[in-house]
Amino acid sequence: MTRFGHTELPDEQERALRRAVRLAWLTIGFLVTAVTVVYVTMGSSQAMKAAWAEDLLSFIPPISFLVATHLASRPPSDTHPYGFHRAVGVGHVVASTALVTMGAFLVWDSGSGLLKAEHPPVGTMVVLGQPVWSGWLMIAAMVYTGIPPVLLGRAKLPLAEKLHDRVLFADADMNKADWMTAAGGIVGILGIGVGLWWADAVAALFISGSILHDGVRNMRVAVAALMDSRAMTVDGKDEHPLMGQVDAALGSLPWVDEVGSRVRDEGHVFHVESFVVPVEGHQVTLAELREARERAIRLDWKVQDMVVVPVEDLPARFLPGLGAAQDDDAPAGSPKGWDAPDRSR
Amino acid sequence: MTRNFAAAAVAVGLGIVLGGCSVTIPTDPDGTLDELRGGVVRAGASVNPPWTDAEAGAPSGAEVDLVEDFAETLDAQVEWTVAGEEELVAEMERGELDVLVGGLTATSPWADKVALTYPYLTTTGPEGEKELHVMAVPSGENALMTALERFLLDQEVQQP
Repeated sequence: MTRFGHTELPDEQERALRRAVRLAWLTIGFLVTAVTVVYVTMGSSQAMKAAWAEDLLSFIPPISFLVATHLASRPPSDTHPYGFHRAVGVGHVVASTALVTMGAFLVWDSGSGLLKAEHPPVGTMVVLGQPVWSGWLMIAAMVYTGIPPVLLGRAKLPLAEKLHDRVLFADADMNKADWMTAAGGIVGILGIGVGLWWADAVAALFISGSILHDGVRNMRVAVAALMDSRAMTVDGKDEHPLMGQVDAALGSLPWVDEVGSRVRDEGHVFHVESFVVPVEGHQVTLAELREARERAIRLDWKVQDMVVVPVEDLPARFLPGLGAAQDDDAPAGSPKGWDAPDRSR
Repeated sequence: MTRNFAAAAVAVGLGIVLGGCSVTIPTDPDGTLDELRGGVVRAGASVNPPWTDAEAGAPSGAEVDLVEDFAETLDAQVEWTVAGEEELVAEMERGELDVLVGGLTATSPWADKVALTYPYLTTTGPEGEKELHVMAVPSGENALMTALERFLLDQEVQQP
């Protein structure tokens, strides 16, 4: 049985994980050939250089995915009581930092080439005893490196959603956009071919701009997740629906009057703290609390590390979004309980 | 954004491919090769025997002969400038030279200022290292570059 920390993966996720690991290795294998082919043919083309750098950077996401899933599978220990799930977040930050750095460097590199009006030389290469214009070889290399990543990206994307794995998602997203790099490179080289010296630098600028854009976007999501933002969907765009579902599941218990939860994304799995206010006069039993927890955990495999805390009033201090939602039924003034402990004595 | 780019890329690519039907690939951005045909090849030589030599201003040597032969294929005369490498490179960057010779090799530090051709001859240096012999043309004049490269590869040059 495969685990993420102490979370046992359901069959569906286990299959997805095995498949994702296979795809990560496949990606690495393909990238080794792509980097070699592009390096051998790139010559003095700026666009080819940018495309080569992107291929080189593409190693980072699948490698961080493999490392992160390996680390995240370790059970929580004395020194890491929350488990090693954050490895995913760290991998994501590392990958996005690499993208930002390389993207910025390449934007500067191709931009300055354009300003200085550098005319890229693309000459002849001898292949099997025949002289060939290197531009044709570069175009062949771009076609080869442009197609497989799109297929890999399409295969990875649904797995990333199933596993709630942001590194895998970033990887798939970049792969899917890889054909644009290849197309940009081809346009640049054809431009050189017909005597437009600037076409190559413009194509390179476009490619490096897209690397930088990918990097900044990923870095935002990665840093926000490490900063314990509320749980978001794997693409980082929307609030995760599980947050509402947990509250609804607990709220439907007959003895529960009000619920408020905070949910953070540990990487793959969530860490949930739910505060419940029992209906007036009800004495909460330990069995009821256990049942409440089990009900929430049954919702989704991602919910496992969870605490249910019975309180007199929902603690606004720990549930900052509460104010707006609770205004209707909560009396004005300072709430009691956790929010305003009486420290006067 | 992705879709817009896709459409733009396809349009530009198609434009270049269709437009390219009427021109040869590669084409010189500054049209150097076309100007040379039936005209004058402005060649620079820095003295580096046995590749290039100059006595009383008249250049000679294996690479000088190669450039003369290349010019012949273009029905062109050669106008020689004999000077130091640095000065010749500067002239080429200003567009005042079309070909530069002087026993240059593929590891020449001038590679980011002028374009070095595909090596036309491999020799062994004094310390047993491989030396790949090249000539230089203005950077980006790819039609001239490929024409010279194809000419040199056809010559079966022997070590002088």
